Amino acid sequence: MRNTDFDIVIIGGGHAGVEAALAAVRMGRTAAIVTMEAKRLALMSCNPAIGGIGKSQLVKEVDALGGLMGTAIDATGIQFRRLNLSRGPAVWSTRAQADRIKYNEFVVDFVARQMNLEVIEGLAGEITVEQGKVIGIRLEDGTFIGARAVVVATGTFLGGLIHIGEKQIPAGRIGEPAAYRLSDSFRSLQFELRRLKTGTPPRLDGRTIDWSRCAIQPGEEPIPFFSPRSSRQPFDQTPCHLTVTSEGTKEVILANSHRSPIFSGQITSRGPRYCPSIEDKFYRFADKPTHHIFLEPEGNGTDEVYPNGFSTALPEDVQREAIRTVIGLEEVVVTRPGYAVEYDYCPSHQIKPSLETKNVSGLFFAGQINGTSGYEEAAAQGIMAGINAALYCAGEPPFVLDRSEAYIGVMIDDIVTRSITEPYRMFTSRAEYRLALREDNARDRLSGHACRLGLITAEDHQLFNTLDAETKLQVGRLSKIRIKVSGLNGLSGRIKRKDSISLAELIRQPNIELHELIPILVKHADGTGKSTEPLERAAIQIRYQGYIDKQTREIVKFQKLEHEQIPINFNYADILGLKTESKEKLGRFRPVSIGQAGRIEGVTPSDLMVLSVYLKRHKESR
Amino acid sequence: MNGSKARRFSEHDTIAAIITPPGEGGIAAVRVAGPDSRAILARHFKSNQPAENSPQPFLLRLGYFTTSKNEILDEVMAVFMPAGRSYTGLDQIEIFCHGGRQVVRRILEEILHDNIRAAEPGEFTRLAFESGRIDLSRAEAVAEMITAQTEVSFRASREHLLGRYSEHIELLRNELIDILSEVEASIDFTEDAPEVSADRTKLVALTDKLIARLGQLVDTYSGGRVITEGFTVVIGGRPNAGKSSLFNLLLKQERALVTPTPGTTRDYLVERIDLDGYTVNLIDTAGLRLGGGKIERAGQRLARDIITKADLLVWVVDLSKRNWQTLLADDVKSMSNTDIMLLGNKIDISKKTVLKSGIRQFDPIPASCVTGVGIKKFRAEIVQRIEKSMPDLTSGLVVTSLRHKQKLSESIRHLKAARTKIKGGVSGELVAFDLRAATGSLGEITGKVYTEQVLGRIFSKFCIGK
Repeated sequence: MRNTDFDIVIIGGGHAGVEAALAAVRMGRTAAIVTMEAKRLALMSCNPAIGGIGKSQLVKEVDALGGLMGTAIDATGIQFRRLNLSRGPAVWSTRAQADRIKYNEFVVDFVARQMNLEVIEGLAGEITVEQGKVIGIRLEDGTFIGARAVVVATGTFLGGLIHIGEKQIPAGRIGEPAAYRLSDSFRSLQFELRRLKTGTPPRLDGRTIDWSRCAIQPGEEPIPFFSPRSSRQPFDQTPCHLTVTSEGTKEVILANSHRSPIFSGQITSRGPRYCPSIEDKFYRFADKPTHHIFLEPEGNGTDEVYPNGFSTALPEDVQREAIRTVIGLEEVVVTRPGYAVEYDYCPSHQIKPSLETKNVSGLFFAGQINGTSGYEEAAAQGIMAGINAALYCAGEPPFVLDRSEAYIGVMIDDIVTRSITEPYRMFTSRAEYRLALREDNARDRLSGHACRLGLITAEDHQLFNTLDAETKLQVGRLSKIRIKVSGLNGLSGRIKRKDSISLAELIRQPNIELHELIPILVKHADGTGKSTEPLERAAIQIRYQGYIDKQTREIVKFQKLEHEQIPINFNYADILGLKTESKEKLGRFRPVSIGQAGRIEGVTPSDLMVLSVYLKRHKESR
Repeated sequence: MNGSKARRFSEHDTIAAIITPPGEGGIAAVRVAGPDSRAILARHFKSNQPAENSPQPFLLRLGYFTTSKNEILDEVMAVFMPAGRSYTGLDQIEIFCHGGRQVVRRILEEILHDNIRAAEPGEFTRLAFESGRIDLSRAEAVAEMITAQTEVSFRASREHLLGRYSEHIELLRNELIDILSEVEASIDFTEDAPEVSADRTKLVALTDKLIARLGQLVDTYSGGRVITEGFTVVIGGRPNAGKSSLFNLLLKQERALVTPTPGTTRDYLVERIDLDGYTVNLIDTAGLRLGGGKIERAGQRLARDIITKADLLVWVVDLSKRNWQTLLADDVKSMSNTDIMLLGNKIDISKKTVLKSGIRQFDPIPASCVTGVGIKKFRAEIVQRIEKSMPDLTSGLVVTSLRHKQKLSESIRHLKAARTKIKGGVSGELVAFDLRAATGSLGEITGKVYTEQVLGRIFSKFCIGK
C-alpha cells in the first residue's frame, strides 16, 4: 500500500468540511482540511443565524452525534428563541442569531486545538484516482496530498460565479476566488455537473438605521441553548428588528428588474423558491404590496446588519436606491452589496446513502455539492461524510440513518432518491415520522449510535442515560398525580371532565397546547427544583405516545423494505416487465433497497414486485 | 379484529381478496392471508362438525359462513393452511362458496369489516415470492405473470380512470393537497411569512367539501357494482302471497344466466337473470317464514339482513285477502328498506279493481302470477328502477372496485378526524397527522402524493422567504 499523508483529506472548511474533519479525528483518524484561508473556517456566508424550523432538529442531531455546531452557536450566539411555540412540541424549533466573527473564531480555535487535524491553505485542483479508488488530491500549485479517503465540501466555490447586476465575477464568496480546475477534474472522472443559484442581501451600517420605526424582537428567557454540553451562563441578549418595504420599494424594483441577472437571462440556473430575491418576490407575488424585512445584527462587536428578506442581484446603484425605500432605512448606508452566486453541484443520484460517490471509492460529497443549501444541512452531511470516510478507512460498513430515525436520514434519503433541481432545504413537512423526530429526543435517537462509533465520550453518554432515567421517572409520576380541574382557572373550560384529572390526561388534551401547561406541570410534578428538562421530555412523550404507537406498524413495514437490499451494480436493463421509464430512473438512481426504489418518482408498486422477484433470483444465482 | 386492537404488531397485514375471476362460475373463492387469517376463520366459519372447530391444516371442511352478527350467509367449504406451508407463506385460509357475485362479495365485505385490508393486485403472488414458495427457476415466468396481472388490473382501472373519472380523482387529490399545504405552511413557514396562518373556518369548509365529494364517489360504488355484479332484487311477502310463483315466472320468462346450485341454503334461492341487458340477482325468500318459533325467528333476522342489503325489495301482496291493506300497513312498518316496490298478486281472484293501499305514496301494481296479467308492467318498472339506481354512465364517475371503495372510505375517516381537530383548534402537526393518513389512502388510488407536490403548492401560494 502506498504511503499517505492523511487518512482523510477534506476539501473545504465550511460548516460541512469542519464537521467532517472533527468526526474523522474523533474516530481516531488523521485528517487535513484544505481551504483557501485557514482563518475563514465555518464562516457564515449568508445570514448570521443557526437553526430554524426543521433546521434546528438537524443541529440537535449533529450535536447528539458529537458535532460542533450546537456548542459553537451556544458559545457565540447573541439571541436565542424557539419558533412555533404555539404549535406542538414536535415542531418547536430553536433559532439563534450568531456573532458572525466570534462564531468563526470559536471554530478556528477549536480546530486548532485538535490532535491529528491539520489545516492546509491551498486551492484544490484535482481528485487523484487509481483503479476506481481515490488516492489523494492535487492542489492547483501541483502539490500532491495523499489520502485514503477524500471528502468534498466545496460550497459555492465549485465553479462559483457571482452576479451583481450586469457584472459577473468568478468567485465563491465576494473577494474570494473560486475553484474551476476542480470542476474539470470531476468531469474527467465522469461526474455529471449542473448549476444552482443562491443569493444574499446587501449588508447595512446599523448606525444609519432608524430603529424607532422598526418592531423589536427580543430573545426568549430562559435562554434555550442548543447543546446540553454547553455551559454558557445567561447573558443580555441582543434584539432583532422587523420592518417592511414601502410602495416605493416595489416601484424601484419593478422599474429596474430588467437589470437583474435573474430576469435578463444572464442567470439560467434555478434558485430556491423558499428564499427568493426581492425582485422575484415583487414579480411573482405582484398583488402583495409590501414584504417583511428582518434586521438581524451580525454581532455585538460590529455595526453591520443583515436585512433578511432583501436578497438581490440588482446592480449596486439600484440596491442602494431600493433599500432606502424600506421603512426605517431611509438614510441607510450599504456596507457590502448583495449578490447572486451560481455554482456547480453533482446531482446526487451519483452518491450512495453513505455520501460516498458511486463512481469513485473513498470519495465523499457533503453540502452544496449535493444540491443542498444551509449551514445546518451542510453540517449534518459533513458529520455523516466524516463518519463514513473514517469507517471506509477502517474497512467497516457505512453508517446510514433511516427516515424513521433522524432528519439527517430524511435529508440524505431525499437527495439520493430524487432529482434535485433547486437548492434543498430541510422542512418538517419532509419528515413522515415528524412526531417522533423532535428536538427534545435527538439524543434518545442517536446517543447509542454516537457512543458505539466513538463520537461522544462515555461521560456524555452517561449524562444522557441519567436524563433518560429521570424522564422515565417523571412519566410515571405524571400518570399518578391528580389535580382538581377547577383549580386550572383559564384552562378548565376546555376540559370535559369536571372533577379531577391526572397530569398525564391533562397533557393528552388535544385542545390544550403543551407550552400552556409547562408552568402547571412544574408546580405540581417537579419536586426536585433542578432542571425541568426531564419533566418537559416526559410530557412531550406522553403527548405523542398514542400517535407514535399508531405509526409503529407503518415503521416496521417501512424498515422491512429498507432492508431488502439491491446490489449497487444491479442491471435493470434486462428485466422484463419493468416500464422503460422505470428502468431509466432505477438505472440512474441505483437505489440500495426496495424501499428506496419505491420512493423514486414514477416507480410503481408493480415495478417493485417485479424487481423483488429478480432480486431473489439474483441472490440465488450468486 | 382483535389482532389489531391488541396492537399485535406484525410485519404483515392480513389481506383478503376474491381469487376466482369475475363473471359467472359455479364456485367462487375468497383467500385471506396473514396473521389474522385464523381468527377470521374462527369468527366466521361454523363447521358442520362442531367438534372440529379448531382447524386441521389442509383439511377441507364443510360448514357455514356466518356474519359478525352470527347469521348464516352461505354454506361453504373452508381450508386452513399454516404459515410456512401455504402459497403466501403466511397463515392462510380459503373459503369456497357457491358462485354468484352477490354471496362472495358479501363474504369478502364481512371479512374486510374486521380491519382486514383488501389485497393489492398481484399481492398474493408477491408474498409467495417473498416466502420462497415459488421455485426460483420459474422466477422469470412469474415476473411476467405479475406484470401481466397488474397490467390487466392496471388496464382495468385505467379503463375506468379514463376521461372524467380520472379528472375527478385528480381534482380530489388536488383539493387534499390544498388542505395539507395550508396546514404544512402554517407549521414550516411561520417565520418566513408571518401572514401564513391556517384559517380554520376556511379549512373546515374545504375539508367538508372534500369529505362530501369523496362520499359521493363512495356512494357510486353500489351503482358501479350493479354493472359488475348485478342488481339484487329480493322477493318478499307473507306466506302464500305468491313469492315463489313470481320467482319462477320471472325465471321462465327471462333468460336465466347461470344456474348456481339451487338452494344455496335451505332458506332462500338465488337466481340470476338478464333483464333488458341488466344482470339481475333474484332472491326468493320463500323459505324464510315470518312469525313462529325460535328457528324461524333466526330466519327472520336473515331475511331482514338480506332485504337490507338488496337494491330493491319486491313485496308481494295477496290481494285476495280482504284485509290486505291492514296487513301491508303492518309489514311496511317493519321495513327499514331501501327501495320498495309493491306487487299486488292474485288480481285474477280478487274482487277489487282499483288499488289504493293508503300507505305512503305507493300502490301495488296489480298482477297475477297465474295468468301473467300485469307482469309486463312490473318488469318495466323494475328496469326503470335499475336505470334510476345506475350512476350516470356518461359521466364515468363510478367506483367499481371494492379496494377503491375501501381506500376512499378510509380517506374519509381520516379527513373526519382531521376536521374534528381543526374545529377544536388542535395544533397543526396533529391535524397534519390525519391529513397525511388521508393522503396516503387516497394516494393508493390516485398515485402517490409526494412532499414536493405539497411544497410546490405552498411556494406557489405563499410568498415564502424572509
